[in-house]
Amino acid sequence: MATLNPPIRSASSRPPSLTASARLRRLARSYTLRVFAQAVVTVWAVITFTFFLIRLMPGNPVDVYIDFLMNQQNITYEEARARAASQFKFDPDANIFVQYGEYMGRLIQLDLGESITSTGTRVIEQIARFLPWTVFSVGLGLFISFILGVTIGTIMAYLRNSWLDNLFSLLASILGAVPNYIWGLLILIVFGVQLQWFQVGALRGTYNSSLTPGFNLTFLLSVLTHAALPVLVYVLGSIGRWMLNMRNSTIGTLGEDYVSVARARGLPPSRILLAYVGRNAALPMFTLLAIDIGFIIGGSVIIEELFVYKGIGSFLFWSISQRDYTSMQGVFLVITISVVFSNVLADLLYSQLDPRVRVGGGEK
Amino acid sequence: MRRGLFIFLLLTLALALAVGAVGAQEPTRFAGGWPYQLPPDGHFNSYASGVINLGIYWDLMEPPLGVYMWAQGAYEGMLAERFGFEGDEAYTVTLKSGVSWSDGSPVTARDIVTTFYTGYLIGWAVWNDISSVEAVDDRTARFVFKAPSQAAERRILTEQIRPASVYGAFAERAKPLVEAGARAGSADFDALLSELTTFRPEAFVSAGPYVLLPENITDAKVVLVKNEGGLNADIVAFDEVHLWNGETEVVTPLVLNGELWYGTYGFPPATEAQFIQAGIDIIRGPSYSGPALYFNHAIEPLNNVKLRQALAYAINREQNGFVSLGESGIANECMCGMSDNLASVWLSDEVMDSLNYYDYDRAMAESLMIEAGFSRSAAGKWTDAGGNVLAFELIFPAEFLDWAAAAENVTAQLNDFGLEISARGVQFQQQQQDVYDNNFQLAIRNWGVGSPFPGQAYLQAYDRYNGQGELAGEGVGGGMRFPQSVEYSGGTIENLRQLALDSSSGLDIDAQRARVAMLALSYNELLPAIPLWERYGNNPLNRAKLNAPPNGDPVYINAGVDHFMPYLIMTGGITPAV
Amino acid sequence: MVSQAAPTHERIIQTAPPRLMEGLLRPLRVFWRALRQNPVGLVGFSGLLCYALLITVGPLLVPFDNIVRLDQIAAPPGSRQVLLTRAEDAARYTTLESLAGRTVGYVRETGGEAFLRDYLRANPDAFQTEDTRWRSGRGVPDAMQALADGEIDALVVFSESVKRFIPHDPATPFTNLVVSNPALGAPHLLGTDTQGRDIFSHIVNGGSALIYTALLAGFFSSLIAVTLGSLAALIGGVVDNVLTSIANFVLTIPGFPLLVVLASLITLNNMVLLAALIGALSWPVLMRAVRSQVLSLRERDYVEAAVALNLGLPHIILREILPNMMSFVAINFIFAVTSAMYQQVGLIFLGMAPINDYTWGVMLYFGRTRGTLFSADSALMVLAPVLAIAFFQVSMVLFARAVEEMFDPRLRTAK
Repeated sequence: MATLNPPIRSASSRPPSLTASARLRRLARSYTLRVFAQAVVTVWAVITFTFFLIRLMPGNPVDVYIDFLMNQQNITYEEARARAASQFKFDPDANIFVQYGEYMGRLIQLDLGESITSTGTRVIEQIARFLPWTVFSVGLGLFISFILGVTIGTIMAYLRNSWLDNLFSLLASILGAVPNYIWGLLILIVFGVQLQWFQVGALRGTYNSSLTPGFNLTFLLSVLTHAALPVLVYVLGSIGRWMLNMRNSTIGTLGEDYVSVARARGLPPSRILLAYVGRNAALPMFTLLAIDIGFIIGGSVIIEELFVYKGIGSFLFWSISQRDYTSMQGVFLVITISVVFSNVLADLLYSQLDPRVRVGGGEK
Repeated sequence: MRRGLFIFLLLTLALALAVGAVGAQEPTRFAGGWPYQLPPDGHFNSYASGVINLGIYWDLMEPPLGVYMWAQGAYEGMLAERFGFEGDEAYTVTLKSGVSWSDGSPVTARDIVTTFYTGYLIGWAVWNDISSVEAVDDRTARFVFKAPSQAAERRILTEQIRPASVYGAFAERAKPLVEAGARAGSADFDALLSELTTFRPEAFVSAGPYVLLPENITDAKVVLVKNEGGLNADIVAFDEVHLWNGETEVVTPLVLNGELWYGTYGFPPATEAQFIQAGIDIIRGPSYSGPALYFNHAIEPLNNVKLRQALAYAINREQNGFVSLGESGIANECMCGMSDNLASVWLSDEVMDSLNYYDYDRAMAESLMIEAGFSRSAAGKWTDAGGNVLAFELIFPAEFLDWAAAAENVTAQLNDFGLEISARGVQFQQQQQDVYDNNFQLAIRNWGVGSPFPGQAYLQAYDRYNGQGELAGEGVGGGMRFPQSVEYSGGTIENLRQLALDSSSGLDIDAQRARVAMLALSYNELLPAIPLWERYGNNPLNRAKLNAPPNGDPVYINAGVDHFMPYLIMTGGITPAV
Repeated sequence: MVSQAAPTHERIIQTAPPRLMEGLLRPLRVFWRALRQNPVGLVGFSGLLCYALLITVGPLLVPFDNIVRLDQIAAPPGSRQVLLTRAEDAARYTTLESLAGRTVGYVRETGGEAFLRDYLRANPDAFQTEDTRWRSGRGVPDAMQALADGEIDALVVFSESVKRFIPHDPATPFTNLVVSNPALGAPHLLGTDTQGRDIFSHIVNGGSALIYTALLAGFFSSLIAVTLGSLAALIGGVVDNVLTSIANFVLTIPGFPLLVVLASLITLNNMVLLAALIGALSWPVLMRAVRSQVLSLRERDYVEAAVALNLGLPHIILREILPNMMSFVAINFIFAVTSAMYQQVGLIFLGMAPINDYTWGVMLYFGRTRGTLFSADSALMVLAPVLAIAFFQVSMVLFARAVEEMFDPRLRTAK
């Protein structure tokens, strides 16, 4: 369905013949529902694949525990094996398809099962304990870095080839090219150890443990100070990509005919910036953002370990190293759902922001 | 009357001031570290996996009956006051009096009985040595032997004692199972075991000088507070023990900025150099273990003893150790499968003299290679009779940083000697499985283990890496496939593994020494693996914060479960520096 | 080339008859002229040129240093071998030549030994040598003692060892030893690594394999992303659903377990396979972004026209779609290249990439696991490869900017 209208139309300029609810209904039938069904299938495929994948990894919970006992208690292999065998309900020789069937059966009842290595601990409890901190810190980092990066990127595009643009380009490429664990280590070593600007140990953990969690200023402040370093590292590690992407995207948009036309029509620059340039240039950013939002749940293993900010990333690292299949599977499930559905939401949002996409995608 | 009142007021004031002064004083503390797992995974049931693991510091809360003092070669009582063999029938232990658990109940022989009967459920090997344990009186427990040995004594004395008030019910139900000889698989046994592993005590009950309270566990560190009635509570010099969470890289900044005062981590040499620059002392105690170059004896030239001997001469172990772990990587000298520190204790001078020390000698290596039938190609590479270059792949655990460095260096040295080795880091669990599965050519794995019995060290080579490892996985097994029955210049050994097991059984020390000598001499000659160096600790000790015995004190050779640091804390050997 | 030279050059070529020559040179000339007008692009271009020189010519000039020197582990930049003598001989023995007929000491397995070996190879029998065993770090003070006791006349030793064992403290026994020649060997420009080897030589030699693989991996991942993203958006329907689902699937499967399992099944000693693996795992993010962009572009008049004229998918993708999102693809290609470099480091950890080929990635792996970042002296073992990678990315970003402006006429007018 071709359209020769200007590429961006605000919502109000749509054909008035369709009421809001009718439009929704049409979407539900033709697009939304299909997209969601597709997402559910993807989630199923990923967790099935993951289920078998993690069991193919070398070692199993029993092996890991045998190693641990031998190394820490210096007992013989045979005793370590006997002790490890007593600990877990897990049987390494059980039929893997039967295990899969049981797992899916429980999953349909929304039961994530028990941890293997800490018998009796529910996986859901583990996730509930660690996930909020990751969502908070990584989410905050992503939010700051996206807003800052997109803003600076737009400024860079407007001041193209000025010294400011060159400086920011240089900065952004360097920031983006140094992995975030190097930033983390450098911050700890330079500001924590050499300059002693902060007490390394006092900033560890998610909040000051002498405080009782609650909605009061002291507690919230303590939460913010403890998250400050990880968030700073997340911002440093990702802002360069937003800046450069937004700069390029905006420059591309600035060259479009409709922007020239808008200029020629004498529209105020601020209106051109917001309604014409900014909106169009930010579109590809949203696809990238949606993927990143999905991965918030996964957290960052290295950064959470380095700052002892105990979130889901460091928990996942622990359960992988212990080969705790059920815990791993639980975390991966949450990650999968969040990535797949944030992408679905992005698609839907995208089609709202850019009518061209919806029209095409819905009808073909 | 009035004067009386005045004095009373004065006294009250003085008391208030004194209390105020005491209250205002910072509690003295010990700041160490250990990587532990947080609740809900971490819990207080020390019979179940997932217990909040504080490693060597666990002794501070569940002390053992005794600690083996490696320098003296004798046990020192911890919870136990007296202990000893009753002929070869039984072993008796008498507890110190006046020690109580943090819940207020006294420590009695019933706690010992509880500890061992409950341990039966989770497969403690001590039950291969004893048939029963009973409380003779309030403070005395008697272990009846099935097979007496020094190893059995060690298993009895070094086990951490648990409270009957928490686990007593399990022990009482386990006792009939022990008497009936019930094993895993029987319904009663499995039911009780499953109850035990899912058991989650609300609080932790400690008999040591410190106790871990649930509210003192945070993400960043745990704080152990004084348990006033506990063992040696009046002797220990710290009010609190702080243990920071995290692995080596994570705790390094804390050591450098003076927040962590003592740590048992494997710090890389560059980090260690930075500690020394910051004025932090390094404690180097032996670990009785280290990396060795293992061979796959199922592969043609690697099963040639001359080749292995040649390689032993061709590797500069001193360089390898120093590059890998700095001054804590001490070249292994006796090349006899155990630590030099053990060899000097267990081997007679005569045996020590007849060992080959394989001092770095390229000329000797050269002639042995030629003797073994290899020759150098025009390019200087060693080739076999068929003209094939001796090319092998060496796998090492990628995450073990000192072993990775050892592998990198040994590869460079052997390539310089004229072999063609390519080194590959492998995820550590996979690498171990590869060795268990005989799926390797050359590999870096450990020799030795932190036990005072040499037999345990040989079990690494002859049991763990030679066949038994297969039980853990589903692979083909076989390990390095070194023959268990060997001939060497001193005679024939029917079964190396059995000899290693036998070397610590029974109570006849001389017979044990003779077996150890056979093991040492045959290992030295046949070289199932080439030990590279012994890993000494490089534990930073901040003497600005802690007063501890000077470097070189014999206490620092205590290793394994007899680690010196909990011993020093509990016996008041380490104090706050003022 | 001086800027004034260009017009003459142009004239010569214009008068030259062969058309082929001109066909080849003209784009180059246009390119060069555009680059000259764009100083930032010029910087980026020179940067890339430097890297090209570094990885091709560099190894010929600076050979890989593989000599283990036990006394100079993780030493700071600028450290080198020095000549140590007794104070009374300081004026006499200042060079190796001045020591003819005397005895010079060194410690085994140190830089001093390596240096003297090279010197004696060129000047045999210049003087006698006397070695000391290393003995776990006691070798250097032992040799100094021998010098103080008069057993040798001079000692070739590492500058940091001198600082460590001769503090300016009258209580030490070595007060009568002085450095008579502070610059015997060449200095280590970037310091030494944890085996006492020269970091600079590793930087020079360690770039090519990493850069080739990363470029290839970036190319693979961009190629897959652009192709699949365009196809999904242009064809739509079932194809779109399937491709999007595959992208979501690859995006979501947990990377670490996947790589661990793959590592246990395959070994990658081949650059192309390594690049293919990295490319195969990292395309989905860009693919989704490309798909969204193409969905937007699809409804443009010129694309509509191309579809109506039935010009075929390859034409539409290459001629109509790609030029319009070139800058977006380019910047993401650059990020893909950089992240491919770091992914190789991750693969080294998993044993999928060999360590024998001592690339910047292997340096980073050993530098980090050996804790060099904690000490200012040795931090360059980690920072040098990271900076090398970072400046490579900077050069690419700046260069890409110049290229975009050349090929996108809109950018030159719209401002």
